[in-house]
Amino acid sequence: MKKITVSLFALSLLFACSGGQKGSQESNSSNISLKGSDTVLPLGQATAEQFMKSNPGVSISVVGGGSGTGVTALIDGNTDIAMCSRDLKGEEKLKLKEKGIDPVIKSIAVDALAVIVHKENKLEQLTREQIEKIFTGEIKNWKEVGGDDAEIVVYSRENSSGTYEFFKEHVMDKKNYASTVLNMPATGAIVQSVSQTKGAISYVGLAYLNADIKALKVSYDQGATFVGPSMESAKDKSYPISRPLFYIYDMKSEAKVKSYLDFCLSAEGMKIVESVGYIPVQ
Amino acid sequence: MKRFFEKFIEALIKTSGYTTSIIVLLIVVFLFKEGISFLGESPVEHSYTLIGHRDNPVNELKDLQIKNIFDGKISNWKEIGGSDQSLSHFELSDLTSIYGEAALGKDLEFTKTFAKKLIDSLPGALLFLPESLVKDAEGFKTITVEKITLVHFLSGREWFPTSKPSAVFGALPLLLGTLVVSFFAILLALPFGLAGSIYLAEIADMRVRNVLKPIIELLSGIPSVVYGFFGLVIIVPWLQNLLQLPVGETALAGSVVLAIMALPTIITVSEDAIRTTPRAMKEASLALGASHWQTIRKVILPYASSGITAAIILGIGRAIGETMAVLMVTGNAAMMPTSLTQPVRTIPATIAAELGEASFGGQHFKALFALGCILFLITLATNFMVERVSSKRKLK
Amino acid sequence: MIKFPEHVDVRKRIYQAIFFWLARLISLAIIGILIMILYFIFKRGAGVLSWEFLSTSPKEGMMKGGILPAIVGTGYLVLFSILFAFPIGVLAGIYVNEYALHGRVKNFIKTMTNNLAGVPSIVFGLFGMALFVNQLGMGASILAGSLTLALLALPLIIRTTEESLKSVDDSFRQASYALGASKLYTIRKVVLPMAFPNIITGLILSIGRVSGETAPILFTVAAYFLPKLPGSLMDQCMALPYHLYVISTSGTNIDQSRPVAYGTAMVLVLIILVVNLLASFARNYFAKKVKTN
Repeated sequence: MKKITVSLFALSLLFACSGGQKGSQESNSSNISLKGSDTVLPLGQATAEQFMKSNPGVSISVVGGGSGTGVTALIDGNTDIAMCSRDLKGEEKLKLKEKGIDPVIKSIAVDALAVIVHKENKLEQLTREQIEKIFTGEIKNWKEVGGDDAEIVVYSRENSSGTYEFFKEHVMDKKNYASTVLNMPATGAIVQSVSQTKGAISYVGLAYLNADIKALKVSYDQGATFVGPSMESAKDKSYPISRPLFYIYDMKSEAKVKSYLDFCLSAEGMKIVESVGYIPVQ
Repeated sequence: MKRFFEKFIEALIKTSGYTTSIIVLLIVVFLFKEGISFLGESPVEHSYTLIGHRDNPVNELKDLQIKNIFDGKISNWKEIGGSDQSLSHFELSDLTSIYGEAALGKDLEFTKTFAKKLIDSLPGALLFLPESLVKDAEGFKTITVEKITLVHFLSGREWFPTSKPSAVFGALPLLLGTLVVSFFAILLALPFGLAGSIYLAEIADMRVRNVLKPIIELLSGIPSVVYGFFGLVIIVPWLQNLLQLPVGETALAGSVVLAIMALPTIITVSEDAIRTTPRAMKEASLALGASHWQTIRKVILPYASSGITAAIILGIGRAIGETMAVLMVTGNAAMMPTSLTQPVRTIPATIAAELGEASFGGQHFKALFALGCILFLITLATNFMVERVSSKRKLK
Repeated sequence: MIKFPEHVDVRKRIYQAIFFWLARLISLAIIGILIMILYFIFKRGAGVLSWEFLSTSPKEGMMKGGILPAIVGTGYLVLFSILFAFPIGVLAGIYVNEYALHGRVKNFIKTMTNNLAGVPSIVFGLFGMALFVNQLGMGASILAGSLTLALLALPLIIRTTEESLKSVDDSFRQASYALGASKLYTIRKVVLPMAFPNIITGLILSIGRVSGETAPILFTVAAYFLPKLPGSLMDQCMALPYHLYVISTSGTNIDQSRPVAYGTAMVLVLIILVVNLLASFARNYFAKKVKTN
């Protein structure tokens, strides 16, 4: 028993020493960390996987948690690249400045934010004003917008999400969500819940659309024209709720992340963007 | 030499003995240092300020009022204690759209000029601008926001930690959500737990006990996230279908999952308490002609009552601190709990969901630590109660 | 002898029968709950388990491939957290039971240990993040995660050590002192070996507990996708409980990645099963050994 304990101890010490300081690991360009947006997550993972296949010496770690988590990690020096589905907030820009970080913001894809409801929901379209009122809690029943007499169940992301902020700023005219809105930890959970709750409504990135949920057509001109989210309508800007997806990194890390970033922006990278379900950038 | 070595080892042992106390102390220091520094801060976004007309009688506003103003729900100053004047709110982006980006200057250095212009033309305006852009400007009045106080934190009914211009930190819905889900979970678990422990301690024979005990140990060892997953894929849809609810992610789902999780704790501790009833008392009762069941009811249970109470409190403590399972099934809506078939948001789930976004040392970060303090205090209180109840028992 | 009238006797018996059957049913229901949980997880997870699942990294957005990095990550976290917690925990248990004989000190430490045992796992995560990740600058790493998990395991190990030491009859200690041995020697050669079985049982159960915890590792070490295995203590790693959490709530194809979630849940439950079985075997094996000794 003693022998086993001693050898186990020695083995683990060996392991620990072989690692060395975190500092030396960071300067080694073979470890890149991506952190942040749940919307960008599938894209980050797909490109990381592909990049690592052709660059076996590099290890890329991908962590979710929402755009806010990614930017915070960038500020606190805990990640190389922050995945972000919204613009930087004023106070984030200030904090970055305080820490001496010069952020480089690169758009690596475009997303069409879809407003989704249950498959069997009668509705096909809504105006921006109606959507705003539903999410702020002013409209509580589907019959108020032409649907069945049923309670509207609103799902949203957590306040760490870039999509949450983007939706609030651009679709809800900066108004706050109602307190009764359910907050799901990630987009996958939203899709899951909306697909099994008849009165549900929520918002997800284009890549998350699937056969179990229905995307509504949206009007930004008080009902004159309604457009649904798709690759085409996002490309030609006819769909009103589209947004760029970003990778944000410190100027100082440029050398470290350059080859991966170039890959993401290359033709092959753009193919991956399309296969994941987002719109490539030129 | 040997003496020295022995003294060294013994010193090591003594230090180790105090580790838990040191750790608890460290946790208290860290939690409360951040949590308390949270109080007394202004909830307005860091380095931004609110300005209004010089002659505006209002000096200070509450965070909830700011939220309602910028949500468009308040349109006249008289609603918040000012004069009868229409209230309009503006941000930096609004100034840009009104006067044009070029006018404000490349580095926004002319912001204060245009801000003054706006306020002079609209005396009821409320502007939300970065402090640095309107520093040293005259002709304005800074409107402060009421600082965060403990009472306000504990009694506020809305939780919007990332709201601009002013965050709203009202922890009451979170606190109530935590308590409601936990108490109801114990309510669900109690009959099962009590019956199970009585069965295990008094009625079951050796073979059954040897099967049941490991099963209960297994139930208590299953990780919280597995229960959460099980709740998410089985219990939420099942409840939704069974009770025809508009939404499946509810306090009820949370309580059901927590009840299953707290059950082993209640059973094991109660069973222990029942087992340690002195045989003499049991046999005396039986000798007097009471049936087994009467003995259990009138003699054993009252004797073990303090142990059973301890079990219940421990179960409550376990349920209150649960994170993952609750996060996945309760819907996390920060609303005042009025019914079990509505979603709730508990304190541990709030911390787990929001901590990633909170920048180290920032206000949101401190608010979450304040929540952690509340949780820790509840745990301390639970443990204290268990100790009181157990020591009363020892006196018997 | 007091003879009760007939009908009272019958009534007593009926009440007893009713309640006893109720108790049996309820206990059966409790077994039923466990069986139901195991059934759902095993039924949908068993199909996913394969050698490939356990030995390869996730591919194609978690829909294919396996969970090896998560298994390895959990392994490292368990190894290091127990490495930190076990020695200190045992020593602390020795102190409480063998040295702290004054009621006040002993009670104080026991209260503190109980308090630490009751602290919710998310508070450990909060504390671990503030202290290890940020204050001490370790960043999100296996080191920070293991230290946080060690804090969680510590009270458990202390408690089981203390109880196993308590169960060693005092006469053994007295006999050893009578023969002239020092206190430390007595502990080393007499008390510890006898308490060993229960201490090991406690250790095994702590391993089970630590491998399933999610909240403490959320912010201190866990990564969503990290196919390369961790090479040092300062790396992040994947972990089974965190993997289950993210697989069941994130990902663009929840339907297709659901089987992976069930597989992960099953692996976790299997670990707990194995741990519990090992603990019972250890208990029985050592109990026999001590008896024959």
